Amino acid sequence: MGTPRSSRQSLVMSARANLAAALSRWLGNGLLLAITSVAAIGVLFILFFIARDAVPFFQLRGFKEFFTSTHWYPSQEPVEFGALSIFVGSGLVTLGAALVAAPLGVAAALCLSDVLPFGVRQAVKPVIEMLAAIPSVAYGFFALVVFAPWLQRLGAITGTNALNVSIILGIMALPTVVSVSEDALQAVGRELREGSYALGATRAETLLRTIVPAASSGILAAVLLGIMRALGETMVVWMASGNAAQIPDPWFNFLEPVRTLTATIAGDMGEADHVTGSARYHVLFAMGLCLLLFCFACNLISEWVVSIQRRKLKGE
Amino acid sequence: MGMKARNLLDRLFSGVGVLAIVVMGLALVLILAPIFSRGAGAYIFKATVEHRRMLLERFERGNAEALAAEAEAVREARAPVYAMLARYAAEDLAGLSGREKREARQRLEEVEDILQELFGPMPGAATPVLPRQQYGATRWDRAEVKLDRLLYVETWDYSDSGSMGQQVLKPRREEFAGTALEPLFGYVETHLEAMLRPEWTFYWGFLTDSSFDAHIFGGIWPELVGTIYLTLGAMVFAVPLGIVSAIYFAEYAQEGRLVSLLRTCVSTLAGVPSIVFGLFGLAFFINTMHVSRSKSVLAGSLTLGMLILPTVIRAAEEAIRAVPHSYKEAAVGLGAGRWRTVVTVILPAALPGILTGTVISMGRAAGETAPIIFTAAVSVGKVLSPWETLTQPTPALSWNIYNLCTEHEAVDEIRHVQFGMAATLVLAVLLLNLVAIIMRARISNKLKG
Repeated sequence: MGTPRSSRQSLVMSARANLAAALSRWLGNGLLLAITSVAAIGVLFILFFIARDAVPFFQLRGFKEFFTSTHWYPSQEPVEFGALSIFVGSGLVTLGAALVAAPLGVAAALCLSDVLPFGVRQAVKPVIEMLAAIPSVAYGFFALVVFAPWLQRLGAITGTNALNVSIILGIMALPTVVSVSEDALQAVGRELREGSYALGATRAETLLRTIVPAASSGILAAVLLGIMRALGETMVVWMASGNAAQIPDPWFNFLEPVRTLTATIAGDMGEADHVTGSARYHVLFAMGLCLLLFCFACNLISEWVVSIQRRKLKGE
Repeated sequence: MGMKARNLLDRLFSGVGVLAIVVMGLALVLILAPIFSRGAGAYIFKATVEHRRMLLERFERGNAEALAAEAEAVREARAPVYAMLARYAAEDLAGLSGREKREARQRLEEVEDILQELFGPMPGAATPVLPRQQYGATRWDRAEVKLDRLLYVETWDYSDSGSMGQQVLKPRREEFAGTALEPLFGYVETHLEAMLRPEWTFYWGFLTDSSFDAHIFGGIWPELVGTIYLTLGAMVFAVPLGIVSAIYFAEYAQEGRLVSLLRTCVSTLAGVPSIVFGLFGLAFFINTMHVSRSKSVLAGSLTLGMLILPTVIRAAEEAIRAVPHSYKEAAVGLGAGRWRTVVTVILPAALPGILTGTVISMGRAAGETAPIIFTAAVSVGKVLSPWETLTQPTPALSWNIYNLCTEHEAVDEIRHVQFGMAATLVLAVLLLNLVAIIMRARISNKLKG
């Protein structure tokens, strides 16, 4: 009998072996860190490459026209790249989606975290997961082929309008809003709830006066993430928003067709692709950059807000 | 406020919450029901003799002898129609002249066109070039729509200037009153079944057949294969990277500025809009790195891989953190180093959880459309061999759903294909999620003991 040679060797402590071990540990750590950084480098690369192709547009056409004019004629001479109506379109459907998703989502999250018994909650979870899992193109298909004719039968002049898209985007954003705000509500903890009940408050009073204020920043983060999802969504708006580059009259008229940033990028790239280097091509990257920066901002704000809540709950 | 009022408000509040959840469930049902019920129509439908002829001629499936017998019966049933057409041309049309004749001929051509859509080319006519003109109505539901068009002329009444035009249906028979063609309409209406012989069919080929003539015939096999390629490709890039990153975050990283920066980057990556991923894929993988000359499955897979990377990292990290601490302590106590502990103890224990996250992100990759528009998707294409994926673009379910319902020349003609495709994609994604849910339930049971 005898121990295997290799394991006996590893017990020997020599300076060289120590160095080798330290070196390999250091290398291994570095390698892991390098691989992990791929995601981080990915974000920077995305920002860089979108910006690289967006800058030529602003060099060619400046800022003023893009952000203040509503004349969007990228393909007929003289070309005009006024994207204001497209920004308004994106804003309008995102606002609509938030109006659908925020109240519904927060109410559902409150109900899930504090009202429903455990068994029912377990049954509702898959519903939320399924809503989150359905591919966006299937939502878009539904919006265009099923939902738009319904709206038209109800009296809208066209079924592919801002209302249609807002409702569908709202439904798509629901899972995010529900799950993130439920997490925030759960994070508040038992003590506050028990304290409030002990003072004789009803469930509604406990939730609305104590729990929601304590979780407010988390709920805000949830709504922000939902808004981000709606703003960045492409297929639904491309298929069902009507794609008319115009500001509705009045601006909150949800029954008019609109056009969004994402849909413009998706729809115009096919024509612009072979004229790489033209303003036509770069304007789409400029839109992408605007989207990207907005989403970065939303994301950072929501992270910041969540960390504030975490600190506050820990501190109290 | 009195106790009663407070309790009432409490109830009301709970009611609102329950209502929100009910609305959510209702939305799910309302969205899935039409997709699945009409999508099933792509697989199970009343197929006519034209469908069986198409299958035999194009895919060499079916019983040639039985079809020949059927064709004979159908020919007999259709013969009077063609006889009537011939008589009308010979007797009534010959008697007219000038403008009247031109108009009559135009009306006749309309009828002949619809009959061709129903029954295929006229006997004796040369075989048309377009496949869609070589076969009549392959589906009974489409045949019924065409019958309606044969029987009624659709006109629009604009007399009421205040509102939109009203649709008016006028029997086409009246246009041919007193001619040899007048009985044709009644005959077709009553004998349509004998002329097309509809039978309930389960068309499994919808999944495994290639399509031809712009999806008017055949199935969705190339799209399905394209989606599988893209999904697997994305997994190949994202899963190893994601698991290694998760190991780093969960086991190696010391919380500090660098790590929290990395974490922020990962969550920021998760928030990048999918269309921006598409732009990035075009600008970076294709125009800068030149991974392929133009769109290719490879470029699409890389783009999708980046898109799902944060999901994989998060799921894997959660799974690794869920491994009980005692496992790790036991491994370390037995003298295993950190890396050995991870590979031999923690990863195997976390594997089901990692797989769950992987399966969910697979569903995500399969359903995404926006990132592959500029990087991988084409509207029409054939099934690629594995090495062609490095250089060739592919059709994919998600892209073709969009394409068929917005850009196709005969949108109404192929509704069943669109619904079938959407139902197939949604079903595949939901099944993946179901697998994940079941796996998760089993894990939590196991952890409970």
